[in-house]
Amino acid sequence: MRAVTLSKLLLSACLIASSLAACAARPPASDPDALAEYEETNDPLEPTNRVFYVINNGIDTVLLRPAAQAYRFVVPQPVRNGVHNLLANLGTPVLLGNDILEAKPRRAGDTTMRFLINTTVGVVGVFDVAKDWGYPSHDNSFGTTLALWGVPEGPFLFLPVLGPSNPRDAVGFGVDTAMDPFTWVGQGAAVVALNWSRYAVSAVDQRERVLDAVDQIKKTALDPYATFRSLYRQHRASEIEQTRNDNRATIPVWFPQPAKAAAR
Amino acid sequence: MLTRRTLLQLTGAASMLALLGPALAAPALAQSAQQATAFVKSTGDALVAVVNGPGSPSDKRHQLQQVIDSTVDVDEIARFCLGRFWRQATPDQQRQYMALFHEVLLNNIAAKLGEYQGVRFVMGRAQEREDTDVVNTTVERPNNPPTQVDWIVSTATGQPKIIDVVAEGTSLRLTQRSDYASYLSRNGNNVKALIDAMQKQAAQSG
Repeated sequence: MRAVTLSKLLLSACLIASSLAACAARPPASDPDALAEYEETNDPLEPTNRVFYVINNGIDTVLLRPAAQAYRFVVPQPVRNGVHNLLANLGTPVLLGNDILEAKPRRAGDTTMRFLINTTVGVVGVFDVAKDWGYPSHDNSFGTTLALWGVPEGPFLFLPVLGPSNPRDAVGFGVDTAMDPFTWVGQGAAVVALNWSRYAVSAVDQRERVLDAVDQIKKTALDPYATFRSLYRQHRASEIEQTRNDNRATIPVWFPQPAKAAAR
Repeated sequence: MLTRRTLLQLTGAASMLALLGPALAAPALAQSAQQATAFVKSTGDALVAVVNGPGSPSDKRHQLQQVIDSTVDVDEIARFCLGRFWRQATPDQQRQYMALFHEVLLNNIAAKLGEYQGVRFVMGRAQEREDTDVVNTTVERPNNPPTQVDWIVSTATGQPKIIDVVAEGTSLRLTQRSDYASYLSRNGNNVKALIDAMQKQAAQSG
Protein backbone atom coordinates (compact mmCIF):
# COMPACT_ATOMS: atom_id res chain seq x y z
CA MET A 1 0.00 0.00 0.00
CA ARG A 2 2.65 2.39 1.10
CA ALA A 3 4.94 1.37 -1.75
CA VAL A 4 2.15 2.03 -4.22
CA THR A 5 1.61 5.57 -2.99
CA LEU A 6 5.35 6.21 -3.04
CA SER A 7 5.75 5.01 -6.61
CA LYS A 8 2.68 7.02 -7.63
CA LEU A 9 4.20 10.06 -6.03
CA LEU A 10 7.48 9.49 -7.85
CA LEU A 11 5.69 8.98 -11.14
CA SER A 12 3.63 12.13 -10.82
CA ALA A 13 6.70 14.10 -9.79
CA CYS A 14 8.54 12.84 -12.89
CA LEU A 15 5.57 13.75 -15.08
CA ILE A 16 5.42 17.23 -13.62
CA ALA A 17 9.17 17.60 -14.15
CA SER A 18 9.13 16.46 -17.75
CA SER A 19 5.94 18.25 -18.78
CA LEU A 20 7.11 21.51 -17.33
CA ALA A 21 10.66 21.11 -18.64
CA ALA A 22 10.98 24.28 -16.69
CA CYS A 23 13.71 26.83 -17.16
CA ALA A 24 14.75 29.48 -14.70
CA ALA A 25 13.94 32.88 -16.17
CA ARG A 26 17.05 34.67 -17.36
CA PRO A 27 17.22 38.11 -15.72
CA PRO A 28 17.07 41.07 -18.14
CA ALA A 29 20.27 42.88 -19.17
CA SER A 30 19.04 45.93 -17.24
CA ASP A 31 19.84 44.09 -14.00
CA PRO A 32 23.56 43.26 -14.40
CA ASP A 33 24.01 42.02 -10.81
CA ALA A 34 21.19 39.50 -11.09
CA LEU A 35 22.46 38.48 -14.52
CA ALA A 36 25.99 37.94 -13.22
CA GLU A 37 24.60 35.79 -10.43
CA TYR A 38 22.52 33.78 -12.90
CA GLU A 39 25.60 33.08 -15.02
CA GLU A 40 27.72 32.24 -11.98
CA THR A 41 25.16 29.77 -10.65
CA ASN A 42 25.07 28.05 -14.05
CA ASP A 43 21.71 26.46 -13.32
CA PRO A 44 19.24 27.27 -16.13
CA LEU A 45 17.27 24.07 -15.37
CA GLU A 46 16.88 24.97 -11.70
CA PRO A 47 13.10 24.34 -11.39
CA THR A 48 13.44 20.81 -12.82
CA ASN A 49 16.61 20.19 -10.81
CA ARG A 50 14.82 21.17 -7.62
CA VAL A 51 12.07 18.61 -8.31
CA PHE A 52 14.68 15.87 -8.52
CA TYR A 53 16.40 17.23 -5.43
CA VAL A 54 13.14 16.82 -3.50
CA ILE A 55 12.68 13.28 -4.87
CA ASN A 56 16.26 12.25 -4.07
CA ASN A 57 16.01 13.80 -0.67
CA GLY A 58 12.89 11.72 -0.02
CA ILE A 59 14.61 8.52 -1.14
CA ASP A 60 17.60 9.41 1.00
CA THR A 61 15.50 10.08 4.08
CA VAL A 62 13.56 6.80 3.93
CA LEU A 63 16.23 4.52 2.47
CA LEU A 64 19.86 5.52 2.16
CA ARG A 65 20.35 7.58 5.31
CA PRO A 66 18.80 4.96 7.64
CA ALA A 67 20.84 2.27 5.88
CA ALA A 68 24.02 4.28 6.41
CA GLN A 69 23.12 4.89 10.06
CA ALA A 70 22.46 1.19 10.61
CA TYR A 71 25.75 0.37 8.89
CA ARG A 72 27.61 2.76 11.19
CA PHE A 73 25.81 1.40 14.25
CA VAL A 74 26.32 -2.30 13.51
CA VAL A 75 29.70 -2.46 11.78
CA PRO A 76 32.75 -1.27 13.75
CA GLN A 77 35.04 1.38 12.24
CA PRO A 78 38.02 -0.88 11.33
CA VAL A 79 35.71 -3.22 9.40
CA ARG A 80 34.10 -0.27 7.62
CA ASN A 81 37.57 0.97 6.65
CA GLY A 82 38.36 -2.49 5.29
CA VAL A 83 35.17 -2.52 3.24
CA HIS A 84 35.98 0.92 1.88
CA ASN A 85 39.52 -0.12 0.94
CA LEU A 86 38.23 -3.27 -0.74
CA LEU A 87 35.73 -1.28 -2.82
CA ALA A 88 38.45 1.20 -3.76
CA ASN A 89 40.68 -1.67 -4.88
CA LEU A 90 37.86 -3.03 -7.07
CA GLY A 91 37.76 0.39 -8.74
CA THR A 92 41.35 0.04 -9.97
CA PRO A 93 40.59 -0.69 -13.67
CA VAL A 94 38.49 2.46 -14.08
CA LEU A 95 40.96 4.55 -12.09
CA LEU A 96 43.95 3.31 -14.07
CA GLY A 97 42.12 3.73 -17.37
CA ASN A 98 41.44 7.37 -16.62
CA ASP A 99 44.98 8.01 -15.31
CA ILE A 100 46.29 6.76 -18.66
CA LEU A 101 43.73 8.64 -20.76
CA GLU A 102 44.75 11.81 -18.96
CA ALA A 103 48.44 11.10 -19.68
CA LYS A 104 49.36 11.21 -15.98
CA PRO A 105 52.12 8.56 -15.71
CA ARG A 106 52.85 9.09 -12.01
CA ARG A 107 49.18 8.71 -11.13
CA ALA A 108 48.94 5.59 -13.28
CA GLY A 109 52.06 4.30 -11.51
CA ASP A 110 50.56 5.01 -8.09
CA THR A 111 47.38 3.21 -9.07
CA THR A 112 49.29 0.18 -10.40
CA MET A 113 51.56 -0.09 -7.36
CA ARG A 114 48.61 0.35 -5.02
CA PHE A 115 46.75 -2.47 -6.76
CA LEU A 116 49.77 -4.81 -6.68
CA ILE A 117 50.66 -4.11 -3.04
CA ASN A 118 47.16 -3.94 -1.59
CA THR A 119 45.88 -7.00 -3.46
CA THR A 120 48.75 -9.13 -2.10
CA VAL A 121 50.16 -7.72 1.14
CA GLY A 122 46.90 -5.90 1.85
CA VAL A 123 44.83 -9.11 1.54
CA VAL A 124 42.75 -8.47 -1.64
CA GLY A 125 42.64 -4.79 -0.78
CA VAL A 126 41.21 -4.81 2.74
CA PHE A 127 44.29 -3.04 4.15
CA ASP A 128 45.72 0.05 2.50
CA VAL A 129 49.40 -0.85 2.96
CA ALA A 130 50.48 1.03 -0.17
CA LYS A 131 49.59 4.39 1.35
CA ASP A 132 52.25 3.93 4.04
CA TRP A 133 54.73 2.74 1.43
CA GLY A 134 54.58 6.03 -0.45
CA TYR A 135 51.80 5.39 -2.94
CA PRO A 136 48.98 7.74 -1.94
CA SER A 137 45.43 7.18 -3.17
CA HIS A 138 43.63 9.56 -5.49
CA ASP A 139 40.24 9.77 -7.15
CA ASN A 140 39.58 9.88 -10.85
CA SER A 141 36.68 9.61 -13.23
CA PHE A 142 36.00 10.01 -16.92
CA GLY A 143 34.29 13.29 -16.08
CA THR A 144 37.69 14.60 -15.00
CA THR A 145 39.30 13.12 -18.11
CA LEU A 146 36.80 14.96 -20.31
CA ALA A 147 37.53 18.18 -18.42
CA LEU A 148 41.28 17.78 -19.05
CA TRP A 149 40.51 17.15 -22.71
CA GLY A 150 38.85 20.57 -22.79
CA VAL A 151 35.19 19.56 -22.73
CA PRO A 152 33.10 22.27 -20.95
CA GLU A 153 31.02 21.25 -17.93
CA GLY A 154 27.62 22.36 -19.26
CA PRO A 155 24.71 23.41 -17.04
CA PHE A 156 24.33 22.08 -13.51
CA LEU A 157 22.11 19.00 -13.29
CA PHE A 158 20.51 17.30 -10.34
CA LEU A 159 19.95 13.74 -11.52
CA PRO A 160 17.53 11.18 -10.13
CA VAL A 161 19.37 8.78 -7.76
CA LEU A 162 22.84 10.06 -8.80
CA GLY A 163 22.41 13.55 -7.37
CA PRO A 164 24.44 16.66 -8.28
CA SER A 165 26.10 16.46 -11.69
CA ASN A 166 26.44 18.13 -15.08
CA PRO A 167 26.37 16.74 -18.65
CA ARG A 168 30.14 16.19 -18.61
CA ASP A 169 30.10 14.23 -15.35
CA ALA A 170 26.93 12.36 -16.33
CA VAL A 171 28.56 11.16 -19.57
CA GLY A 172 31.67 10.42 -17.51
CA PHE A 173 29.65 8.22 -15.18
CA GLY A 174 28.29 6.25 -18.12
CA VAL A 175 31.75 5.78 -19.64
CA ASP A 176 33.20 4.76 -16.26
CA THR A 177 30.51 2.11 -15.92
CA ALA A 178 31.21 0.88 -19.46
CA MET A 179 34.97 0.95 -18.78
CA ASP A 180 34.56 -1.24 -15.69
CA PRO A 181 35.34 -4.87 -16.55
CA PHE A 182 33.02 -5.99 -13.76
CA THR A 183 30.13 -4.61 -15.84
CA TRP A 184 30.96 -7.15 -18.55
CA VAL A 185 32.64 -10.24 -17.08
CA GLY A 186 30.83 -13.36 -16.02
CA GLN A 187 27.35 -14.66 -16.47
CA GLY A 188 24.64 -16.05 -14.29
CA ALA A 189 22.58 -14.94 -11.36
CA ALA A 190 25.49 -15.12 -8.91
CA VAL A 191 27.60 -12.59 -10.82
CA VAL A 192 24.64 -10.25 -11.30
CA ALA A 193 23.85 -10.50 -7.60
CA LEU A 194 27.50 -9.81 -6.71
CA ASN A 195 27.62 -6.78 -8.98
CA TRP A 196 24.45 -5.32 -7.52
CA SER A 197 25.65 -5.98 -3.97
CA ARG A 198 28.80 -4.09 -4.84
CA TYR A 199 26.73 -1.09 -5.99
CA ALA A 200 24.57 -1.28 -2.86
CA VAL A 201 27.47 -1.62 -0.41
CA SER A 202 29.32 1.12 -2.20
CA ALA A 203 26.30 3.46 -1.96
CA VAL A 204 25.95 2.77 1.78
CA ASP A 205 29.71 3.20 2.28
CA GLN A 206 29.72 6.57 0.49
CA ARG A 207 26.66 7.74 2.38
CA GLU A 208 28.04 6.71 5.76
CA ARG A 209 31.18 8.74 5.17
CA VAL A 210 29.19 11.97 4.70
CA LEU A 211 26.46 11.36 7.32
CA ASP A 212 27.55 14.14 9.68
CA ALA A 213 28.49 16.59 6.94
CA VAL A 214 25.16 16.26 5.13
CA ASP A 215 23.16 16.45 8.36
CA GLN A 216 25.05 19.60 9.30
CA ILE A 217 24.37 21.25 5.92
CA LYS A 218 20.68 20.41 6.02
CA LYS A 219 20.49 21.88 9.49
CA THR A 220 22.45 25.08 8.88
CA ALA A 221 21.79 26.01 5.24
CA LEU A 222 18.85 28.27 4.46
CA ASP A 223 18.67 26.68 1.01
CA PRO A 224 20.34 23.24 1.13
CA TYR A 225 19.85 22.73 -2.61
CA ALA A 226 21.87 25.86 -3.42
CA THR A 227 24.51 24.90 -0.87
CA PHE A 228 24.93 21.39 -2.31
CA ARG A 229 25.09 22.88 -5.80
CA SER A 230 27.80 25.31 -4.82
CA LEU A 231 29.79 22.67 -2.91
CA TYR A 232 29.59 20.18 -5.76
CA ARG A 233 30.73 22.67 -8.39
CA GLN A 234 33.59 24.05 -6.28
CA HIS A 235 34.74 20.59 -5.29
CA ARG A 236 34.75 19.29 -8.86
CA ALA A 237 36.61 22.34 -10.12
CA SER A 238 39.29 21.91 -7.47
CA GLU A 239 39.57 18.15 -8.10
CA ILE A 240 40.09 18.79 -11.82
CA GLU A 241 42.72 21.47 -11.15
CA GLN A 242 44.53 19.16 -8.75
CA THR A 243 44.67 16.44 -11.38
CA ARG A 244 45.76 18.90 -14.05
CA ASN A 245 48.59 20.21 -11.87
CA ASP A 246 49.89 16.78 -10.84
CA ASN A 247 52.91 16.77 -13.12
CA ARG A 248 55.36 14.94 -10.87
CA ALA A 249 58.45 13.66 -12.64
CA THR A 250 58.26 10.04 -13.67
CA ILE A 251 61.70 8.93 -12.46
CA PRO A 252 61.20 6.06 -9.98
CA VAL A 253 62.60 6.62 -6.50
CA TRP A 254 65.13 3.77 -6.86
CA PHE A 255 66.59 5.25 -10.07
CA PRO A 256 69.49 7.73 -9.72
CA GLN A 257 67.85 11.15 -9.53
CA PRO A 258 69.26 13.78 -11.94
CA ALA A 259 70.00 16.32 -9.18
CA LYS A 260 71.69 13.76 -6.94
CA ALA A 261 73.61 12.25 -9.87
CA ALA A 262 74.97 15.70 -10.75
CA ALA A 263 75.99 16.33 -7.14
CA ARG A 264 77.93 13.09 -7.13
CA MET B 1 70.76 52.99 26.01
CA LEU B 2 70.84 54.67 22.69
CA THR B 3 74.40 55.79 22.03
CA ARG B 4 75.38 58.05 19.22
CA ARG B 5 77.00 55.20 17.39
CA THR B 6 73.95 53.00 17.35
CA LEU B 7 71.89 55.97 16.27
CA LEU B 8 74.22 56.47 13.33
CA GLN B 9 74.04 52.82 12.49
CA LEU B 10 70.28 52.91 12.67
CA THR B 11 69.93 55.91 10.38
CA GLY B 12 72.43 54.32 8.05
CA ALA B 13 70.45 51.13 7.99
CA ALA B 14 67.23 53.07 7.45
CA SER B 15 68.60 54.93 4.44
CA MET B 16 69.99 51.70 3.05
CA LEU B 17 66.56 50.16 3.41
CA ALA B 18 64.95 53.11 1.63
CA LEU B 19 67.44 52.77 -1.23
CA LEU B 20 67.14 49.03 -1.45
CA GLY B 21 63.36 49.13 -0.98
CA PRO B 22 62.42 47.96 -4.45
CA ALA B 23 65.11 45.29 -4.47
CA LEU B 24 63.95 43.98 -1.11
CA ALA B 25 60.33 43.72 -2.22
CA ALA B 26 60.56 40.06 -3.14
CA PRO B 27 62.01 38.85 0.19
CA ALA B 28 59.46 41.09 1.93
CA LEU B 29 56.67 39.15 0.22
CA ALA B 30 58.16 35.89 1.37
CA GLN B 31 58.29 37.37 4.85
CA SER B 32 54.57 38.18 4.72
CA ALA B 33 53.85 34.55 3.79
CA GLN B 34 56.03 33.51 6.73
CA GLN B 35 54.11 35.79 9.06
CA ALA B 36 50.84 34.42 7.72
CA THR B 37 52.06 30.88 8.41
CA ALA B 38 53.01 31.79 11.98
CA PHE B 39 49.62 33.47 12.42
CA VAL B 40 47.71 30.43 11.12
CA LYS B 41 49.82 28.15 13.27
CA SER B 42 49.01 30.09 16.44
CA THR B 43 45.32 30.35 15.48
CA GLY B 44 45.18 26.63 14.76
CA ASP B 45 46.89 25.84 18.07
CA ALA B 46 44.37 28.03 19.89
CA LEU B 47 41.45 26.28 18.16
CA VAL B 48 42.86 22.81 18.87
CA ALA B 49 43.33 23.80 22.51
CA VAL B 50 39.65 24.77 22.71
CA VAL B 51 38.45 21.63 20.90
CA ASN B 52 40.54 19.15 22.85
CA GLY B 53 40.59 21.07 26.11
CA PRO B 54 38.39 20.62 29.17
CA GLY B 55 35.26 22.62 29.87
CA SER B 56 31.53 22.47 29.31
CA PRO B 57 30.08 23.20 25.85
CA SER B 58 29.12 26.71 26.94
CA ASP B 59 32.65 27.36 28.29
CA LYS B 60 34.06 26.18 25.00
CA ARG B 61 31.64 28.32 23.05
CA HIS B 62 32.88 31.34 24.99
CA GLN B 63 36.55 30.43 24.41
CA LEU B 64 35.81 29.87 20.74
CA GLN B 65 34.22 33.29 20.49
CA GLN B 66 37.39 34.89 21.86
CA VAL B 67 39.58 33.07 19.35
CA ILE B 68 37.29 33.96 16.44
CA ASP B 69 36.95 37.62 17.44
CA SER B 70 40.70 38.10 17.59
CA THR B 71 41.69 36.11 14.49
CA VAL B 72 38.81 36.19 11.99
CA ASP B 73 37.56 39.26 10.12
CA VAL B 74 33.91 38.25 10.56
CA ASP B 75 32.60 41.65 9.42
CA GLU B 76 34.42 41.35 6.11
CA ILE B 77 33.13 37.79 5.61
CA ALA B 78 29.58 38.86 6.47
CA ARG B 79 29.66 41.68 3.91
CA PHE B 80 31.06 39.33 1.28
CA CYS B 81 28.34 36.75 1.96
CA LEU B 82 25.56 39.27 1.46
CA GLY B 83 27.14 40.35 -1.83
CA ARG B 84 25.17 42.89 -3.85
CA PHE B 85 22.39 42.92 -1.26
CA TRP B 86 24.66 44.64 1.26
CA ARG B 87 24.25 47.91 -0.64
CA GLN B 88 20.48 47.39 -0.90
CA ALA B 89 20.04 46.84 2.83
CA THR B 90 19.11 49.76 5.07
CA PRO B 91 21.69 50.74 7.75
CA ASP B 92 19.39 49.18 10.33
CA GLN B 93 19.20 45.93 8.36
CA GLN B 94 22.97 45.96 7.93
CA ARG B 95 23.41 46.21 11.69
CA GLN B 96 20.91 43.43 12.38
CA TYR B 97 22.43 41.20 9.71
CA MET B 98 25.94 41.75 11.03
CA ALA B 99 25.00 40.80 14.60
CA LEU B 100 23.11 37.72 13.40
CA PHE B 101 25.94 36.63 11.14
CA HIS B 102 28.36 36.71 14.08
CA GLU B 103 26.00 34.61 16.16
CA VAL B 104 25.10 32.06 13.47
CA LEU B 105 28.75 31.58 12.50
CA LEU B 106 29.73 30.96 16.10
CA ASN B 107 26.80 28.55 16.58
CA ASN B 108 27.72 26.59 13.47
CA ILE B 109 31.35 26.20 14.49
CA ALA B 110 30.48 25.44 18.12
CA ALA B 111 28.09 22.70 16.95
CA LYS B 112 30.99 20.95 15.21
CA LEU B 113 33.36 20.96 18.19
CA GLY B 114 32.34 17.47 19.33
CA GLU B 115 33.08 15.98 15.91
CA TYR B 116 36.56 17.43 15.93
CA GLN B 117 37.64 15.84 19.21
CA GLY B 118 41.24 14.67 18.87
CA VAL B 119 41.92 16.94 15.89
CA ARG B 120 45.46 17.86 14.90
CA PHE B 121 46.81 19.73 11.94
CA VAL B 122 50.00 19.78 9.92
CA MET B 123 51.27 23.03 8.47
CA GLY B 124 51.91 23.13 4.75
CA ARG B 125 53.37 25.78 2.49
CA ALA B 126 52.18 29.35 2.16
CA GLN B 127 51.92 31.45 -0.94
CA GLU B 128 50.79 34.88 -2.05
CA ARG B 129 47.59 35.17 -4.01
CA GLU B 130 46.57 38.68 -5.07
CA ASP B 131 46.75 40.70 -1.85
CA THR B 132 46.21 37.76 0.50
CA ASP B 133 48.33 34.92 1.83
CA VAL B 134 47.11 31.37 1.36
CA VAL B 135 48.38 28.94 4.00
CA ASN B 136 47.89 25.22 3.33
CA THR B 137 47.29 22.81 6.20
CA THR B 138 46.26 19.20 6.51
CA VAL B 139 43.64 18.57 9.17
CA GLU B 140 43.69 15.10 10.67
CA ARG B 141 40.89 13.64 12.73
CA PRO B 142 40.78 10.15 14.23
CA ASN B 143 38.94 7.73 11.90
CA ASN B 144 38.63 10.29 9.13
CA PRO B 145 40.63 10.73 5.95
CA PRO B 146 42.95 13.77 6.16
CA THR B 147 41.44 16.98 4.80
CA GLN B 148 43.27 19.71 2.90
CA VAL B 149 42.36 23.05 4.43
CA ASP B 150 43.60 26.40 3.09
CA TRP B 151 43.44 29.51 5.27
CA ILE B 152 43.13 32.82 3.45
CA VAL B 153 44.81 35.56 5.47
CA SER B 154 44.43 39.26 4.74
CA THR B 155 46.32 42.13 6.34
CA ALA B 156 43.95 44.78 4.93
CA THR B 157 42.94 45.89 8.44
CA GLY B 158 46.57 46.27 9.56
CA GLN B 159 46.82 42.94 11.37
CA PRO B 160 46.56 39.48 9.90
CA LYS B 161 42.97 38.21 9.88
CA ILE B 162 41.40 35.11 8.39
CA ILE B 163 38.92 36.04 5.66
CA ASP B 164 38.14 32.58 4.27
CA VAL B 165 38.67 28.88 4.90
CA VAL B 166 38.84 26.54 1.90
CA ALA B 167 38.29 22.85 2.71
CA GLU B 168 39.04 20.38 -0.09
CA GLY B 169 38.61 23.15 -2.65
CA THR B 170 35.32 24.45 -1.25
CA SER B 171 35.36 28.00 0.07
CA LEU B 172 33.37 28.65 3.22
CA ARG B 173 32.37 32.17 2.26
CA LEU B 174 31.56 31.40 -1.39
CA THR B 175 29.29 28.56 -0.29
CA GLN B 176 27.61 30.74 2.30
CA ARG B 177 27.13 33.53 -0.22
CA SER B 178 25.44 31.22 -2.73
CA ASP B 179 23.19 29.92 0.05
CA TYR B 180 22.07 33.46 0.97
CA ALA B 181 21.80 34.58 -2.66
CA SER B 182 19.57 31.64 -3.50
CA TYR B 183 17.42 32.15 -0.41
CA LEU B 184 17.04 35.84 -1.28
CA SER B 185 16.14 35.18 -4.91
CA ARG B 186 13.43 32.78 -3.77
CA ASN B 187 12.08 35.33 -1.32
CA GLY B 188 11.68 38.35 -3.54
CA ASN B 189 15.25 39.62 -3.00
CA ASN B 190 14.05 40.91 0.34
CA VAL B 191 16.83 41.33 2.92
CA LYS B 192 14.19 41.38 5.66
CA ALA B 193 13.26 37.77 4.78
CA LEU B 194 16.89 36.70 5.14
CA ILE B 195 17.20 38.43 8.51
CA ASP B 196 14.02 36.70 9.72
CA ALA B 197 15.35 33.32 8.62
CA MET B 198 18.69 33.96 10.35
CA GLN B 199 16.85 35.03 13.49
CA LYS B 200 15.01 31.71 13.44
CA GLN B 201 18.32 29.88 13.01
CA ALA B 202 19.95 31.75 15.87
CA ALA B 203 16.97 31.06 18.13
CA GLN B 204 17.02 27.35 17.28
CA SER B 205 20.60 26.69 18.31
CA GLY B 206 20.79 29.34 21.03
